[in-house]
Amino acid sequence: MKTLETSSIGKAIDRIDGRLKVTGMAKYASEFPVENVVYAQGVTSTIAKGKITSIDVTEAEKQKGVIKVITYKNAEKLKESDEKRPAFTLTSVAPVLQSPEIHYYGQYVACVVAETFEQAQYACRLVKVTYEEDKPDIDLDKNRSKAFKPDDQADYSRGDVDAGMQSSDVTLEATYTTPIEHQHPMELHAAIVSWENGKVKTYASQQILNDAKTAIADTFMISEDNVQIIAAYLGGGFGSKLNVHKHLIMATMASKMIGRPVQITVTRQQMFTNTGMRQFDEQKMRLGANKKGELQALAHHTTSHCATDQMYYEACGNVSKMLYKTPNNAVTHRLIPLNLQVPNSMRAPGEATGSFALESAMDEMAWKLKMDPVEFRIKNDTQRDLGADKPFSSRLLVECLRIGADKFGWSERKMQPRANQNGNWLVGYGVSAASRRAPYRKTSARVIADMRNGEVYATIQMDGTDIGTGSYTIVAQTAAEYLGIPVKNINVELGDSDFPVTPGSGGSWGAASYANGVRVACKNLFSKLKQNAGVAEEDEVALEDLMKSSKVTSYKVVGTAEPSEEYENHSVFSFGANFAEVWVDKDTGMYRIKRMVNVGSAGKILNPKTAYSQIIGGLTMGAGMVIAEQTQVEPHHGNFITRSLADYHVPVNLDLANIDVVFLPEEDKIANEIGVKGIGELGITSVAASIANAIFNATGKRMRDLPITPEKLIEASLEAGV
Amino acid sequence: MRPFKYINATTGEQALQAAEQHERAKYLGGGTNLVDLMKEDVEQPDHLIEIADLEYNSIKENKKGGLTLGAVVSNSDTANHPVIRQKYPLLTMAMLSAATAQIRNMATNGGNLLQRTRCPYFYETSMPCNKREPGSGCGAKKGMNAKHAIFGYSDSCVAVHPSDMCVALAALNAEVEVLQINGKTKMMPFEDFHRLPGAQPEKDTNLDKGELITAIHLPQSIYADHYYYLKIRERSSYAFALLSVAAGLQIKNGIIASAGLAMGGVAHKPWKLTKAEQFLKGKSPSEENFQRAATIAMEDAKPLAENGFKVPMGEKAIVRALNQAYNRKV
Ligand SMILES: Cc1cc2nc3c(=O)[nH]c(=O)nc-3n(C[C@H](O)[C@H](O)[C@H](O)COP(=O)(O)OP(=O)(O)OC[C@H]3O[C@@H](n4cnc5c(N)ncnc54)[C@H](O)[C@@H]3O)c2cc1C
Ligand code: SF4
Repeated sequence: MKTLETSSIGKAIDRIDGRLKVTGMAKYASEFPVENVVYAQGVTSTIAKGKITSIDVTEAEKQKGVIKVITYKNAEKLKESDEKRPAFTLTSVAPVLQSPEIHYYGQYVACVVAETFEQAQYACRLVKVTYEEDKPDIDLDKNRSKAFKPDDQADYSRGDVDAGMQSSDVTLEATYTTPIEHQHPMELHAAIVSWENGKVKTYASQQILNDAKTAIADTFMISEDNVQIIAAYLGGGFGSKLNVHKHLIMATMASKMIGRPVQITVTRQQMFTNTGMRQFDEQKMRLGANKKGELQALAHHTTSHCATDQMYYEACGNVSKMLYKTPNNAVTHRLIPLNLQVPNSMRAPGEATGSFALESAMDEMAWKLKMDPVEFRIKNDTQRDLGADKPFSSRLLVECLRIGADKFGWSERKMQPRANQNGNWLVGYGVSAASRRAPYRKTSARVIADMRNGEVYATIQMDGTDIGTGSYTIVAQTAAEYLGIPVKNINVELGDSDFPVTPGSGGSWGAASYANGVRVACKNLFSKLKQNAGVAEEDEVALEDLMKSSKVTSYKVVGTAEPSEEYENHSVFSFGANFAEVWVDKDTGMYRIKRMVNVGSAGKILNPKTAYSQIIGGLTMGAGMVIAEQTQVEPHHGNFITRSLADYHVPVNLDLANIDVVFLPEEDKIANEIGVKGIGELGITSVAASIANAIFNATGKRMRDLPITPEKLIEASLEAGV
Repeated sequence: MRPFKYINATTGEQALQAAEQHERAKYLGGGTNLVDLMKEDVEQPDHLIEIADLEYNSIKENKKGGLTLGAVVSNSDTANHPVIRQKYPLLTMAMLSAATAQIRNMATNGGNLLQRTRCPYFYETSMPCNKREPGSGCGAKKGMNAKHAIFGYSDSCVAVHPSDMCVALAALNAEVEVLQINGKTKMMPFEDFHRLPGAQPEKDTNLDKGELITAIHLPQSIYADHYYYLKIRERSSYAFALLSVAAGLQIKNGIIASAGLAMGGVAHKPWKLTKAEQFLKGKSPSEENFQRAATIAMEDAKPLAENGFKVPMGEKAIVRALNQAYNRKV
């Protein structure tokens, strides 16, 4: 009898799909060979507010290869929300080309379908649209009177913040801003759709297939059973591919109207205006502490914007409800409708930006208290989530801070800014705590075990997606672990909405959900086979032996994992700490992030290699928030003046230097049975503040507005007491 | 992109002829700027004349003891040429600070001189822009102009020239060799090559229609020992300069015999700091003189609504570049 092969989980194996990707064999949405395919391109509005008065498509339709131009005049009727400004959800309908109304610059006003991509693109230029233009609402300041409370979860309070502030020895009131940012995954949003006999089949770059299915079905008012989505590989999403955007609906409509499969690719320029963005946030912080450094009050008030026709907000203040112990706490969120596209989730929505404000403010308080910023955070640690009034399932923030400080050499830090100089460089150290909710959601998986040449092979199927994070690999590892067979015998099939339903990839729930879904499916397989073979459930028998003894050559079973009651009774978060050393040129305002040490406690690490990549990616994106990422809006016209990756600056290798990533050994069995927590977003949450805090330590300049560019550093003045 | 025809010229003469025949033809260098602008519908040539196969493809010494850089040699091959690395390291430093290795491999020397501004209004065809569409107005002047000019702009345009290479060429007092439509060659001092916007911002240079750049001439090398290219930008590579300074010093017996100074990112053309150069000549290379030179250089700066930071930044950058140039260990 064979003994069970264990511990595939936790090994730093290479991605099982790595070779496919580097050899170009992995197929992305727009790459599937589909016969008879035609190409669609969106024409976008050149005003931010108003009404189309006429659309002349004659010239465009005359061009060689052009099949059809769709506008609101000849478009299919689609489902629209009854509300004036519906809330954005992952299953929201996405009506397009339904009316002459213009809500933002870059809105689709027509769709050209042609035999080739080039023909479609050229003809787009020839569609002549005239408008009756209104003055758009672009400026947040000028529209403050329109601020509204978006929903019941927007506000929270415990205790009395004003009283807490009054009784504090040291107080701080400061406002932080973070700009509009864009996700810009490497792979452009794209799809190939065919509408045949009332059924929609689409290859589409989507993160969550089951929700996307609902959105497409609802928009076209058809049954979900008639929609199939295939997303075998995605070149990143960062939240922008969570929901269905209008291009996918436009292509589906085109296919329905002309009876041929339609390919659509959103251009990089259109990805600024049509596939979501992180919204601009203005965060007012109020903190009070006694002389011992114990927080007495913490308030976090966020003002942001949404679209005039749809509502979304990232909850920046949520982090302030749970991260530190404070008796008095208040959080609010307000939105101002502007003529800009509806924002959506970008990596760690709320946490990435909220933690910048909170963790900068904590640093400011530490400076005022003349306390070490690490000690100040530790002093205010809490093992209970006071906001949710639940215990944490596990929380190793203090350990992350201590171990990180040690590895980083934090004790070398000088409290006084500008005290550490090296030639033309001012050297600074900064720290920030990181936290990100680690959700876990109901997930199903199918396992098919096959006996071939005396060996067991298994195929795992789920509608989950691999957005570049390594889902294929960790699913294979988990299956190998629970089936007791080698990873090389596992075949993973993801990204088909006909497979068992998962919550998809997003919100840091992918790894925990997928792994547990696979675990249950594998366990079910064993149970069934044992029953068939008449083996007692508790007996340990290898899969091979079980299949042999019961003469089964192929067996298929589905399993579903669900959060436990214990999970519901706890607050489940991943925690971490980031330490940064930054060198700032004393004259030019240029700076370099010399090194970072990041410590994370994120439950059981399924694969240190892919996990490490996730943190590196998060840190890189976080560094981007500080260095340069920002989308600027033209104040008169409402268009984005950053409109390609040549002017929307993401970090380059040289910006980052050395990054040291450490995971604390942990298994959070309350979170889920395998003890896994998400890490996809944890990395980004701590970076911006740690770098801004290091810049303060280097220069004595408190930078409260991201990004921190050379011109802002040159113009900033020294903080009091420096 | 609009449909266009492609012509592969094999001699300079052929190229000129094709340009003369077709009113809206354009020469195609590496295409790294032109093709982008065609995709954006900013440039709308009906013919592209390929010049990669022309004879202007080498780097050789010239009669004046300097170097002649062929117009179709790539930016990479130019920057990394052993003689340039040795005798004109300022040019190497400036060129390698630009774009990315991939873009530099494609980009040609002629094309680099003629790359167009990165003003976002210029790129967005729905916005007003006098450079793209004369008479439509200047969007940047009353809009977003943090990255725009502080010197030499006009009411009709406040854009800056984006090239790094050209800033070094201005400091080095290069000349541009041009094949005219009549088949004759002319030499243009670098300072006269690019122009200020005035009332005609659609014209970036003093080249006449159809004229072909064949080479760039560098005078004898005098700044090989003391040079520095300082580029201030938002990220460490692959970003245009917010502002840049090319500085070359020739030191004889502890005195500055000659200074070559130019700034990028501040004007419609590479901005030669002639007054500061003259001031430094014959002075000792001291921090104090560098500071004085910087003050002189920035005296005429007139910032726009959003780019006031360029004045203090520019002054500090000049001092820093001169210091780095002087202290460079040979
Ligand atoms: C993303 C990005 C980032 C960049 N960053 C930088 C940077 O940081 N610093 C920097 O300096 N540059 C930067 N560049 C610009 C780059 O240096 C230029 O695009 C390049 O030098 C242009 O050369 P080319 O041969 O490709 O020109 P092309 O695009 O082929 O041509 C440009 C123009 O010159 C004309 N032309 C070309 N050759 C001749 C000739 N011999 N005679 C007459 N006319 C001619 C063409 O007709 C065209 O009008 C960047 C470019 C990109 C795309
Ligand atoms: S600055 Fe020049 S290029 Fe920019 S909008 Fe004005 S005219 Fe056009």
